[in-house]
Amino acid sequence: MDSVFSQLCVLGSSLVLIFGLILLWRRGVTAYVTAFKWQSIVLSAVTGIVAYYGDDHELYWVAGALVVLKVLVIPRLLRRMQRRFAAERELEPYVNTATSLVIAGLLVLFGYAITRPLVALSQLPTRAGMPLAMGLVLVSLFVVISRKKALTQVVGFLMLENGIALLAVLGTYGIPLIVELGVFLDVLMGFLVMQIFIYQIHETFESIDVEQLNRLRH
Amino acid sequence: MNTFILLLGPPLVGALMAAVVRPYRSIVGWTNALLSLVSLGAAVSLWRHILAGDVLTSGPREFLRADALSTLLALCVSAVGALAAWLGPGMGGDDGYDGAQARRFRIFGNLFTFTMLFAVTSNNVGFMWIAIEATTITSAMLIPLHVTKASVEASWKYILIGSIGIALAFAGTVLGYFDFVNLAGRQEDALNWTVLMAAAPHLHAPVIQLAFVFILIGYGTKAGLAPMHTWLPDAHSEAPAPLSAMMSGVLLAVALYAVIRWEAVANAAVGTGFTDGLFIVLGVLSIVIAAFSLVVQQNYKRMLAYSSIEHTGLMCVGLALGPLGTFAAMLHLLNHTVAKSMMFFLAGRVLHRYRTTEIGGVSGLLRTMPWTGGLFAAGMLAVVGLPPFGLFISEFALFRAGFAAGRPWLMGLVLALLPLAFVSMIGRLNRMLYGAPAAGIAVGEGSAWPLIPLGLCVTALVVLGLTLPAPLQTLLERIVEIAGR
Repeated sequence: MDSVFSQLCVLGSSLVLIFGLILLWRRGVTAYVTAFKWQSIVLSAVTGIVAYYGDDHELYWVAGALVVLKVLVIPRLLRRMQRRFAAERELEPYVNTATSLVIAGLLVLFGYAITRPLVALSQLPTRAGMPLAMGLVLVSLFVVISRKKALTQVVGFLMLENGIALLAVLGTYGIPLIVELGVFLDVLMGFLVMQIFIYQIHETFESIDVEQLNRLRH
Repeated sequence: MNTFILLLGPPLVGALMAAVVRPYRSIVGWTNALLSLVSLGAAVSLWRHILAGDVLTSGPREFLRADALSTLLALCVSAVGALAAWLGPGMGGDDGYDGAQARRFRIFGNLFTFTMLFAVTSNNVGFMWIAIEATTITSAMLIPLHVTKASVEASWKYILIGSIGIALAFAGTVLGYFDFVNLAGRQEDALNWTVLMAAAPHLHAPVIQLAFVFILIGYGTKAGLAPMHTWLPDAHSEAPAPLSAMMSGVLLAVALYAVIRWEAVANAAVGTGFTDGLFIVLGVLSIVIAAFSLVVQQNYKRMLAYSSIEHTGLMCVGLALGPLGTFAAMLHLLNHTVAKSMMFFLAGRVLHRYRTTEIGGVSGLLRTMPWTGGLFAAGMLAVVGLPPFGLFISEFALFRAGFAAGRPWLMGLVLALLPLAFVSMIGRLNRMLYGAPAAGIAVGEGSAWPLIPLGLCVTALVVLGLTLPAPLQTLLERIVEIAGR
């Protein structure tokens, strides 16, 4: 039974990472929103699986909150922004697609390297997924740095949060519920403020390309 | 009544009042200002408890806890919060803000103060993280109080870089929790700092090292440590004066507080050598970048911002220099809070009069606003570390600690960098103080009463430069014990 459990976890984590990589080779924001939505669905599923096999009822609540927040609410808000800025595609990122994918591969390898002590220490059947979660954290970080549209950066940030949530579920069967709920609240508030700012950038600069944000230097 | 309620309640009440009263009335500002003194009083009361030798806790599972380190930060935050409440927009009169802006400042400024106070009194490192993340959100809302291209740009950089940094700190927190769970099993209060500290000597070294790297990069981003500092000069220079004062004076200190909490855990687990090395690298890098940026700086608010990076770097180096260095770093933190929050308020007055943040556009400050100019000059001398001001003493103590800790080369390097900052800042100060004011700049102080609290700041700096009061010394010594030295 454990082996089914751990295989499901690795499968889920791989899917979560692959949805993260979509940000690197697709250009349209529509694809990013869909990728984020599916990534969150898989993340909730993994959380549910860990709750079932690990017999932890608190985690069902976390999975439920994930569905509401990251599968229903945030993608809907993202979708609304994307309709407004539909013409703005990620045409010329700072790093081109081929190089980005190579770098992402290296980052995932690096994720494996730095999580080795974690995997060695843990006794949990879920441990094999942790390097993939760390890989997603690093890849999302790279997305935020190398992309030019404010909306892409926000999706990258949200995926970074997903990576950390996955790491917490796989490594510890979730942090204490009350803390988790506070974190969800923060993510939602942070996202809403970012959304306000994106509209503000669009109003002031008539585009959401962060390359024009270059007034302040030195 | 519970001291924690008196500490944390007033900013919440202030925010609520501002949210409920529409349109904005100046009575909200005045109530807010008076309530802020209650918070400050509660922080002083915490200090008295520390001196009496007890550590106050409150709530289920010791939810809130105020040891010496929390108390120092609570004092700093509530004092600067009170300054911002008294000198912020919305106290009546022409301060350059309309009612809607004043209302927004009172809502989010108070929430900002609340989240910082909660961050430093929460015993749970998870809630500490939540509170520090919330500081980013509440303060970001205030940067574009005047919507301009520059302030929109600054706020976007701030919220994006700040959120990413804080997310990495969360990854570090999860890793620390992971280590604990593998040692002692899942526990509801495992994220309580006291519980973590008790388990720390048995934590698994490679994991806690990885966790600390994430935490240092994450909270270090908020503390303005290079190379994650890029948001800081923009945000500090574009934010309205009271917010700049709070960000530079205490937000950086609160982020450093979070680092010190985890430093204690890491030191107990793997010894002090590991954290020392990281602190030195990031600290020196911050000082180098700040010093060279100061040389080319043409904007006085950005100049103050880079100076904050320099001082955070100094504190960071101090944390790596053993007990004496930690003592000096904490004293430096206090001095910097007083000096820099005052300077940003004064810079706000200069900006209000001259309508520019360019150093080239400001001249004859001593003639147009003699008191503001005089205080500005005194503050600048304090910031560059001249006697008789407090920062001179704390920097001196820091260098002495460095030589005592057997790091003469490191101290030599830092000593070689400080004059760069010194010369460029004093040169720019001269340009602003003297000369003939441009035509059309009004002469006279305008509203003079804000100068009273700012004058008190200078007095405090002089007092700290001449003597180290015994209660303060006791407080700092307790902090050195907490930091695991």
